[in-house]
Amino acid sequence: MREAAGRMTAVVVDDEAPARALLREYLGVRPDVAIVGECANGFEAVKTIAEAKPDVVFLDVQMPKLNGFEVLELLDPGPVVVFCTAYDEYALKAFEVHAVDYLLKPFGRERLAEALARVRARLQEGAAAPPGPKPADLATTARPPGRWVERLLVKDGAHVHIIPVEKLDFLEAQDDYVALHAEERTWLKTQPLAELTAGLDPARFVRIHRSYVLNVERLSKLELYAKDSRVAILKSGKQLPVSRAGYARLRELM
Amino acid sequence: MHPLVRTPQRLALYFGAWIVVGLLIALIFVLTWGIDFLRALAATEPLALAYGVVCLSALWVSRTLPLDRTPLLKLLSGWLGAAVQASAVWVAIGTLWSVLLARSDVIHASRAELLVGLSVLFVIGVPLYFASLVIHYLLLTFEASREAERRVLETEVTAREAEVRALRAQLHPHFLFNSLNSINALVGSDPEGARRMCESLGDFLRRTLALGARDGVPLAEELALVDQYFAIERVRFGERLTVERYIETGAERCVVPPLLLQPLVENAIKHGIADRLEGGTIRLAAVVVDGALRLSVENDVDEDARSRPGEGVGLQNVRRRLDALSARETRLDTRREGGCFRVTLTLPARPAQGGRAHA
Repeated sequence: MREAAGRMTAVVVDDEAPARALLREYLGVRPDVAIVGECANGFEAVKTIAEAKPDVVFLDVQMPKLNGFEVLELLDPGPVVVFCTAYDEYALKAFEVHAVDYLLKPFGRERLAEALARVRARLQEGAAAPPGPKPADLATTARPPGRWVERLLVKDGAHVHIIPVEKLDFLEAQDDYVALHAEERTWLKTQPLAELTAGLDPARFVRIHRSYVLNVERLSKLELYAKDSRVAILKSGKQLPVSRAGYARLRELM
Repeated sequence: MHPLVRTPQRLALYFGAWIVVGLLIALIFVLTWGIDFLRALAATEPLALAYGVVCLSALWVSRTLPLDRTPLLKLLSGWLGAAVQASAVWVAIGTLWSVLLARSDVIHASRAELLVGLSVLFVIGVPLYFASLVIHYLLLTFEASREAERRVLETEVTAREAEVRALRAQLHPHFLFNSLNSINALVGSDPEGARRMCESLGDFLRRTLALGARDGVPLAEELALVDQYFAIERVRFGERLTVERYIETGAERCVVPPLLLQPLVENAIKHGIADRLEGGTIRLAAVVVDGALRLSVENDVDEDARSRPGEGVGLQNVRRRLDALSARETRLDTRREGGCFRVTLTLPARPAQGGRAHA
């Protein structure tokens, strides 16, 4: 939150110590900015940003475990984001997720001052600012172009779980959540099923029912249950309903 | 498509020549029997064009009897056989044609006249076929030389591309950007360190360029370059980067293609250090076993890392370079096991001149 003195609060996220030191040095001499957190990886970033609720986050893109876009996906909309990276290929994606600026390493004091001016302008716009991007947009943005989502991220309190898609058995819609079933466990993710499914490889994940998306590799057999209604039996023995449209989609894939 | 008639120009030229042939035959008939020139032309032009089609078969003859690899006798007999057969086909076409001409009241020839006419066809058919053979052989030679030229050019372009790709793989621009950023940071907190980093970076670049210009370098030099690279990356990654090396004395003297290890080491940094929270250890090893130099680069991998199907560009480049060197004597193996990823290169252990490999 904004300090009483009107200083904007900032969190610096970069896995490289020299890069953090540089921002610390640049920002340290500015009377209008207070660094309230430094993180060396995505996990720390998710926790620190959720707790400190800074005005602005200086975010590296390529980091171990979670990249910068994945960190954003796991955050409630809030902080203004300035990406700092040596890679220019993420610039477009960065602006798609409403980043206020994109600093290319190496950058100097003047360039950072420009970015801070933009941050201030965005903060002053306040409520008039465009609504933040939806998590699903972030999820699509975070994945490499032309590829399907390779893993799903679930935030469980301060913990972040990474679930590779090949470990998923099926997905189940539950009100505002999607229940992810994998390795005999269930995780809840706040996102509509359709949005989540849009990023998954359609050759592997099929919507067999209004409320179910199945990893076809887990399918053992299909049984006729009643006229026009089938049931999918998974290798684990679990049974899932298959709608008529779902059956047609499965047939198309097989 | 037949190469002689592949383009509209060639098609026009080829059948244009046959129209001239038809004209000459018509002249012979006019002079022999004093028949009307236009009627003669109507009789001979279709025949000439038909033989033009028959003579395209010379392509097959010229392909099955290459000039440089066929005994002379076989060549001559083959040509003569083909020419006689083609001419006979022409006579047969001529016979049918004369029946059609008679039915449609264009030319009524007596049996004797017909015999003379067909004999003329047969006699000129053989040399015409030979002419067609000559054209086909010329055409084949021409196309073969053009093909060879194209192939030479292609090889050159591929080689050049490989070179550029190799250079690009060695000097990843992001390595430079990140190093510059580190220097930028050091300038404030540790000016001496910043100077050292500038120096190492300059040295590294100079050595890379120098080694890249050579065909083969002693492994020791290649390893010195890799060490310099690690020194630069250590500024970025600090404690996260640990390197272990096991290099046999004899192995150090072996000659290797320059900058072969660089992409492997870069990959190891990326996957084994940069993608891991706690960093990791990169293990380099070089041993000589049964006259073969075995180089391996090993790094820890993150279990949560995205599964990567296939090989990345860096690995492909190394594989391509090894194949270009000798696909038979070199190998590149990758293995992921127990949280480790290892790339092993096997290449003939050739000692540097003035030294001796230790087997």
